[in-house]
Amino acid sequence: MANEIWVLAEHQDGKVKGITFELLSGGVEFSKKTGQKVVALLLGSGLEEATKGLLPFADKIYLLDHPLLSPYTSDAYESALLPLLKEHQPSIFLGGATSIGKDLFPRLAMRLETGYAPDCTELSVDEEGRLTVKRPLFGGKVFAEMVFSEARPQMATVRNHTFLIHENLGKSAEVLSIPIQLDPSSMKKKVIQVEKSSGERVDITEADIVVAAGRGIKGPEHFKIIEELANVLNASVGTTRAVVDEGWRDLKDQIGKSGKNISARLYMAFGISGAIHHVLGIGTCKTIVAVDTDPNALIFNYADYGIVGDLFQIVPALTEELKKVLASEG
Amino acid sequence: MALDFTFTEEQEFFRQTIRDTVNRMIMPRVKELDEKEEFPWDLWREFAALGYLGLRHEEKYGGMGTDTITQMIFYEELARGSCGFFMSVTMQILMGTYFIGRFGNEEIKQRILVPAIKGEKIGTICFTEDQSGSDLAGTRTLATKVDGGWRINGRKQWITNGPIADFATVMATVDPKLGLKGLNFFLVERKTKDRDGFVSGQRLHKLGSRCSVTGELVFDNVFIPDENFLGEEIGKGVQYAGEILNEVRVMTGMSALAIAKEAMEDARQYANNRIAFGNPISKYQLIREKFAKFWAWYEAARTFLYKCAWMIQNNIPCTNECMLAKYHATEMCMYAVEEAMRIYGGNAFCTEYPVQRYWRDAKFLLYGGGTHEVLCDYLGRVYCKG
Amino acid sequence: MEIFVLVKQVPDPEATVKIKTDTELEIENKYFTNFFDEIAIEAALRLKEKFGGKVTVLTADPKRVDALRRGISMGADEAIQISDPALEGSDPFAIARVLAAYLKDRSFDLILAGRQAMDDDSGIVGIALAEALNLPHVHSIIGLEVDISRKEAKVIREVENGKEHLTCPLPALFTCQKGLNTPRIPLVMNVMKAMKAQIKKLDLVSLGIEPSKVGSPSIQAKVIRYLSPPKRPPVKMIKEEFPDNVRTLVRLLREDAKVI
Repeated sequence: MANEIWVLAEHQDGKVKGITFELLSGGVEFSKKTGQKVVALLLGSGLEEATKGLLPFADKIYLLDHPLLSPYTSDAYESALLPLLKEHQPSIFLGGATSIGKDLFPRLAMRLETGYAPDCTELSVDEEGRLTVKRPLFGGKVFAEMVFSEARPQMATVRNHTFLIHENLGKSAEVLSIPIQLDPSSMKKKVIQVEKSSGERVDITEADIVVAAGRGIKGPEHFKIIEELANVLNASVGTTRAVVDEGWRDLKDQIGKSGKNISARLYMAFGISGAIHHVLGIGTCKTIVAVDTDPNALIFNYADYGIVGDLFQIVPALTEELKKVLASEG
Repeated sequence: MALDFTFTEEQEFFRQTIRDTVNRMIMPRVKELDEKEEFPWDLWREFAALGYLGLRHEEKYGGMGTDTITQMIFYEELARGSCGFFMSVTMQILMGTYFIGRFGNEEIKQRILVPAIKGEKIGTICFTEDQSGSDLAGTRTLATKVDGGWRINGRKQWITNGPIADFATVMATVDPKLGLKGLNFFLVERKTKDRDGFVSGQRLHKLGSRCSVTGELVFDNVFIPDENFLGEEIGKGVQYAGEILNEVRVMTGMSALAIAKEAMEDARQYANNRIAFGNPISKYQLIREKFAKFWAWYEAARTFLYKCAWMIQNNIPCTNECMLAKYHATEMCMYAVEEAMRIYGGNAFCTEYPVQRYWRDAKFLLYGGGTHEVLCDYLGRVYCKG
Repeated sequence: MEIFVLVKQVPDPEATVKIKTDTELEIENKYFTNFFDEIAIEAALRLKEKFGGKVTVLTADPKRVDALRRGISMGADEAIQISDPALEGSDPFAIARVLAAYLKDRSFDLILAGRQAMDDDSGIVGIALAEALNLPHVHSIIGLEVDISRKEAKVIREVENGKEHLTCPLPALFTCQKGLNTPRIPLVMNVMKAMKAQIKKLDLVSLGIEPSKVGSPSIQAKVIRYLSPPKRPPVKMIKEEFPDNVRTLVRLLREDAKVI
């Protein structure tokens, strides 16, 4: 049994994703208590650049390089990871609560008959390396604290921005290439096309800052002012179910129970009344700002800062003010 | 062990399904339906396609043949949405097609009832006239026997679906001097180039239930064949009216429940969030009393109405009970919509908030199925007789 | 096509959820069919309309069958409830094992499920079931096309900042996401049918699964405590007139919250 903390690394076009750096940083924090080594698992094809990116963040990198591992399919990743997990049985195995983590981890946990907690928003360990997690239920109305049995690894997928990225961990990872045999005939699914959303913005579940507008925007053409604000903040743009149902914005931008949960550091809601299914999607955002014309809007019950005002007046002024302030810092 | 105040699992499932259907099809449009004051043909057709218009009728005509309690559950849930749509739908399901289903011959049922259940032909019932509403004996629309049929003369007012109706069940008198004994029901269709019938008169603009189009129907010496007489024999009109009125009154009571509930749930949300003098107003006693009174009254009204539905279903005579339950539920609703407006304070006056719509829609309940003044006079007399 | 759809009754999003004790929740009795499961039912029905066959709705909830009735009212052919007191305290993996015990001896082309249940929000049962049955799966699909002659499906899966198009051989399991379809409103005729529907009930003995594989003793990750969501301090309303309020907001975000 390897007394190690393993992290499934995610990467795109050679760049390691933020969530991976967050999980590795978190793992290193844990290791200060437990003395465990932190290992990044990097799967894919043509991984040189990604490996370089990971070196300062882990003690070890297990490199699984095989053409069938790119693009991601659960078949291929499962075939590659299961023998390793069975052999080493690391203490903890973490992944992002992403389209990969949420897809793969249930299968691994089922096969390995170990414990798995999805979409965790808080994690901690004791000296023995026993993991405790907190995760939201009922859309976030209640949280559950969970612990694991003796089975190893203790598995969890973690929401974006749960851990902070620590730049200077003082690590230089040892890179180990793991030879893998993958039988192409057992890779049942085939990815035939990857369609990227238009626009440069990061997915709202991954974004540091999200600005959103609801019904108060009164029409799709007015989203322009929100986009301009997002440009200044390098933010992503979200919206509510009401706007998506009207057809003004795409479903992928929807924040809320039947849309996406976001965990941004800063969330700004403009013209959003604060219906329960929306606010449940923003619960884990660190700082929330709300602007609405209705002083009784429910959103103010969930915000840190609020302004009763007209977004059409506030948003452009906010953009201008931010431009000034951010420019002045150089 | 007799007394069982629960619904069956199947009935709860049915209720949930109707509730969900109303939430999806109707709720998003209630404001628009109220503002436009137009009959919502697209919604009507979508709704008809689901099959609910056949709720009361036999399967052989495309109906569902459900029991009374199931029907009342349906009405209670439907009325939560648009009151106007509720009125048009229930007119089609119940009053407008009841007599056709009961007394029409096979040809009439095929020609009229089958398309009505599909929502293709719109029906209505005609009681009210200019000078007579609750006072049925004051009916002046005349039915004169002629060779092979009847001639109908008169004008009917306040006809739900009137402006768009294809057929109507008309209450007319064969002789005003006979009073109640002269009343009978006749099927009259809209005048076409091939057939004599009624024409539309003036359209009414209403305070509430605005998407349900209401107006006058004019019967200008209209000829109808013998088979259009709806009844077993002449003179039983009032008796038949009594039979349908039980159901109509309980149904009206159901809409009173739904409107009251929606209004007070709305008011509750408002009261819990509206801050005045540093607290949500739901913390103040005078506000709380309103909710408490409503709640007690509502529970009683609901229990009573379902008891009446149960009595109808079990063929237990319940004319008085149905009148009482309708009266009781409506008075409760009047209280609820009034208090909901008061809870909203000044905001009640603003049409952006839905609370005023409940208040407007609810008003028709005071006279649908008989005005309260008439009902109370009757019921008081019955009570005093011992 | 022979299709199974996994369904579950969950508390309505409007239902209040209170923490009664550390380990007990009090949930308001307002339930509905899991939103994503309805999407799965709809997808199954559309395939049945196109290719013929049978749609069976399946639940492992010992208490509630309304989700099954919902399936029938939408047009499903058969409803099955796996019900046993030993299921008490099961986690999603245990439920997957139970469902696998039933489905392993059945022949089917496709299993559909919602992407997650709106009570535990775990998104595990469907995927874990696919593992237990050794089926390929695709999670969170927003597009589905079946080529029945090639026994293959073409699916679109939602990923961060985009969509993936995949082919997957059948039989397979897909979990469904909002955007795949709009579930139909049931016809009253089918609602009546659902009210009278005979629901086939199966217990663990009939499935041949040992009680140790389900219920509290079988779980590997356990809830030890329920907690209220972390409380935010009350909102700081910025009361100044425009444009001072904007300046103040920026200042607070920089100096107070330090997010810019």
